[in-house]
Amino acid sequence: MGRSGSKVALLLASVLTLAGCGSAYPADPDGTLERVANGTLRVGASDNGEWVDVDGEDVRGTEADLVRDFAARLGAEIDWVPGTEHVLAEELKHGQLDLVIGGLDDKTPWAQHGGLTLAYAESRDSRGSLHRHVMLVPLGENAFLLELDRFLMEAKEQG
Amino acid sequence: MTMAKRDGPVRFGHTELPDEQKEALRKAVKFEWITIGYLAVSTALVFAVLGNSQAMKAAWVEDVLSFLPPISFLLAARVIRKKPTEEHPYGFHRAVGIAHVVAAVALTVMGAYLIVDSAIGLLGTEHPTIGGFDFFGQTIWLGWMMIGAMVLTALPPVYLGLIKLKLAEKLHDKVLYADADMNKADWMTATAAGVGVAGIGFGLWWADYAAALLISFSILHDGVRNTRAAISALMDKRARTYDDAEPHPLGHRLDEYLRGLAWTEAAQSRIRDEGHVFHVESFVVPAKGRMPSLEQLEAAQEACIGMDWKVQDMVIIPVAELPSEFLPGATSGGER
Repeated sequence: MGRSGSKVALLLASVLTLAGCGSAYPADPDGTLERVANGTLRVGASDNGEWVDVDGEDVRGTEADLVRDFAARLGAEIDWVPGTEHVLAEELKHGQLDLVIGGLDDKTPWAQHGGLTLAYAESRDSRGSLHRHVMLVPLGENAFLLELDRFLMEAKEQG
Repeated sequence: MTMAKRDGPVRFGHTELPDEQKEALRKAVKFEWITIGYLAVSTALVFAVLGNSQAMKAAWVEDVLSFLPPISFLLAARVIRKKPTEEHPYGFHRAVGIAHVVAAVALTVMGAYLIVDSAIGLLGTEHPTIGGFDFFGQTIWLGWMMIGAMVLTALPPVYLGLIKLKLAEKLHDKVLYADADMNKADWMTATAAGVGVAGIGFGLWWADYAAALLISFSILHDGVRNTRAAISALMDKRARTYDDAEPHPLGHRLDEYLRGLAWTEAAQSRIRDEGHVFHVESFVVPAKGRMPSLEQLEAAQEACIGMDWKVQDMVIIPVAELPSEFLPGATSGGER
């Protein structure tokens, strides 16, 4: 690597300088967690069996319940946006949603559009394949993602 | 690996290694196995926390590529022991050069690939997503695990590199040298990746790509430098020191010795580096056009071979004048 040693040192110095500026660590480049807390959580919901049951404006299901608890913890109102997975994934990618649920698993094809939470539940389909269930968050909003991951892990522990 | 028994003779082709080189080879083989063992652990560790960080990906790829030089070295160290055969009268020393080219090209290709991959991520403003990690029931930020992995893997290769560097000089082994040199610089890769991940934590999503690009350029740089050195060695460039820093001083010493003999008027050698050992062709002009006796020629050859273990395959060719077509740049006195 040779001469790049000084470049590394420079990068390190600039990162450490910036360390004083942020509050949360990890931080959100686009400030999702700060905006949502005591504000509005925009949740895309795609109908999928017991996980998400969309009936008009009413969203039910195990994932919807989890999201309600999470929003309550943040002091946030929920703005439900029903839709199909690919429309919701596009909206998430373009910053129009904060969270997408729809009984997604960690093999979801939308991993380029959003970040995956930790798997908070497992299920087997009729063919016997294992699914590890996740939710979809905006790419790189790491403070928000970590907050949600912590919530989901706590919820998983409590069963 | 059936390794050299400590006491039996160890050969590179038909060159029997002196004790110092025998010991260096034994150590080099040992430390290359240690390197492989270490890499197996570190690549597994880094893979476990790879996440979505481009810098971690680049560091991991570099780790995986680091397997190539030790494997090349260990394979070559076996092949070159074979004695020359009728079909391979020069022996099998070139195995080292081939191993060097293969490792160098792999570095170059992966370096270039990672630069393109990182640049696409940077230009597409793909924010790296790093969430929680289930650490014995506690959900902690995966970024901390990445930084921890980088801290753990930063220093051991530096230690291995420094040891192998010394052995490379003793053995005149360029693959070992390239390997050691890369290990020695490994801490910078780990630091860059760690800093990139720390940057993500501060919300600086581009820090990850900046670190990844830095690492990728260093891989490419290593690759290009090694490819160049390996190819020119295979093209019979004149023998240079183990680190390619300068022409090997042995050439000068051989010429000085031959010129100093009572029966010679001028002498000049051309030397190619076969990997560890040299092939030497020394052209000598006998004084006053009088042919030397066979005894004189043989004594001169033996004295030259005695100078350095790398000289074994040597021929002395008496000529009327130094052949400029074989010795480009040679003057009548053979001075450089």
